[in-house]
Amino acid sequence: MEERASDEALERLLTSSGDNAARSGYVIRAVDVRKVYRMGDSETHALRGVTLDVHRGEYLSIMGPSGSGKSTFFNMIGGLDKPTAGKVYIDQVDIAQLDPYELAWLRCRKVGYVFQTFNLIQVMSCIENVMLPMAFAGRDSEEAREKAMEILDLVGLGDRALHKPAEMSGGQQQRVAIARALANSPDILLADEPTANLDLKTGKEIIDLFRRLRDKLGVTVISATHDLKMLKASDRIAWIDDGRLARLSTPAEVNIDVEEVH
Amino acid sequence: MKTEEPQSEIGIQHPPPFRRAFRIAVQGIRIRLGRSLVTLSGVVLGTAFLMSTVTTQFVDRAVARERDARQQLRIMESVLKSRIGSIEGKTLSVAVCGTLTPMDAALLDLLRDAKPAALRLYGAAACPGFEPANLTALGPGAVAVLILGDAPVCPVPLAALTGGMNVPLVIDSRSDRQCQPAPGVRREIFFGRQLADQRDRVAKQARQDRFRTIWIVVVSLAVTIIGVANALLMSVTERFREIGTMKCLGALSVFIRRLFLIESSLIGLAGSVIGVISGILLTLVVYGFIYGFGLVFGSLAYGPLMLAALAAVITGTILAVVAALYPARFASRMVPASALRSTV
Repeated sequence: MEERASDEALERLLTSSGDNAARSGYVIRAVDVRKVYRMGDSETHALRGVTLDVHRGEYLSIMGPSGSGKSTFFNMIGGLDKPTAGKVYIDQVDIAQLDPYELAWLRCRKVGYVFQTFNLIQVMSCIENVMLPMAFAGRDSEEAREKAMEILDLVGLGDRALHKPAEMSGGQQQRVAIARALANSPDILLADEPTANLDLKTGKEIIDLFRRLRDKLGVTVISATHDLKMLKASDRIAWIDDGRLARLSTPAEVNIDVEEVH
Repeated sequence: MKTEEPQSEIGIQHPPPFRRAFRIAVQGIRIRLGRSLVTLSGVVLGTAFLMSTVTTQFVDRAVARERDARQQLRIMESVLKSRIGSIEGKTLSVAVCGTLTPMDAALLDLLRDAKPAALRLYGAAACPGFEPANLTALGPGAVAVLILGDAPVCPVPLAALTGGMNVPLVIDSRSDRQCQPAPGVRREIFFGRQLADQRDRVAKQARQDRFRTIWIVVVSLAVTIIGVANALLMSVTERFREIGTMKCLGALSVFIRRLFLIESSLIGLAGSVIGVISGILLTLVVYGFIYGFGLVFGSLAYGPLMLAALAAVITGTILAVVAALYPARFASRMVPASALRSTV
């Protein structure tokens, strides 16, 4: 795979990414998180008190059927939504205390988002997509371009830098999206069903990439999924059901019966 | 090398520099050209209408003299027709006192075109031999004697002009000309009450038109705003996920709002320029066909027209920005989590 050829780029990234691996402790702590949606008179309890700590540098999968509150929980720990009750700490900061400017700062630098539908900005080329979070972080354009090239090399798309997303396959688009998520060297990579729109083989490549990024960059990977392939790569699996944390397990404890795909 | 930085430090996000937002906005317009053109055409139509209304007034003022002259000529023609019927095949006599006014000249042209059997001309300008002694030749066989020219006094008595006519009829182009009346000779004046009536009517009509024009212009500009706002709202809806994604990547609401305001002001500016130019040209061409291009282009007040055009461009741009206020607000309030929705 072409992405293996980029260990040098990886090393450079490592040194510039704030030594995530060197730190320890919890990168995210959710304490008795509750979320109630009000629609007129009716109330929907999406989360009924979830407590979960995410270790720095771990690969955590969040499993759950649709309507389980999985997505809501995912949004909470990504700083995209605020809990009705309970606390969410990202890097020891209570996100409920943050104003919109601080939240934007946090989303820009601490968290990298990877979406089910890739969500690349269609009007921009790959490298412009990767440079966008850097621009939001106020990075100088030349330096940003260099770093964007490095990250694109890292995900094996250095030669596609000037292509538009529409000219690329789903797997390639998702890799650009991952590169974009890594742009500001975040502590956390947050992926929402990243393989749901990809075929089996491509999905596996994406998971391998996550795994590799976790190992090399020490970035914490949190992935919402119901894709069993993804579970196998993860360190821990959090099962959400009916707004509660049903159980925490390791892949070894789960009898995953998936065919190996090559 | 490693510094012990506290992990809990959170900074304040600043929006990226204006030129960055500008570049992204321009990129967006280029790529979504179809949608941009819809928005643009709304502005073009609005400003073109505004500008054609303004230009009409400019042209009106420029050709007012010519228009009045034409109107007077029409009145003269109708007075003649009402007294003597068709001119074709009849003999007309014209006595010129003083010099011919342009109006008189135009009337003479008109008379010649109407193919009379004979058009007898006597007078200082038209005929150097204008002597009372020659006047005997005016009357016989003529259906009417016209007195034209700018002299305030007619040097010959009416009786002398009409000698030999079956029904002595004199039609004067000036109501205030002093003439020596004669019994049995009818003296008609081209512009009596009719012109005053007409002027009143025209002035009243103009007042009504003015009010209606302002009303129509205001309504059309309002429709433009609504049209542009609608197109931009559609554009926001189309870009739900893109906006949510940008917010996930650290975009501030200010930045999103700025994107839309830049986009709409650029479209507004381009649309206004196109609309204003086409509005002016269309109006001038239409009036050129009515009054002649030489007259229209020759008598136009270009300086004030250019100022009005500039004002219209600014108006159009401001309208586009005003139209974008709500859509931009709508877009900037989008929650970042909307990027995660798989539908749309």
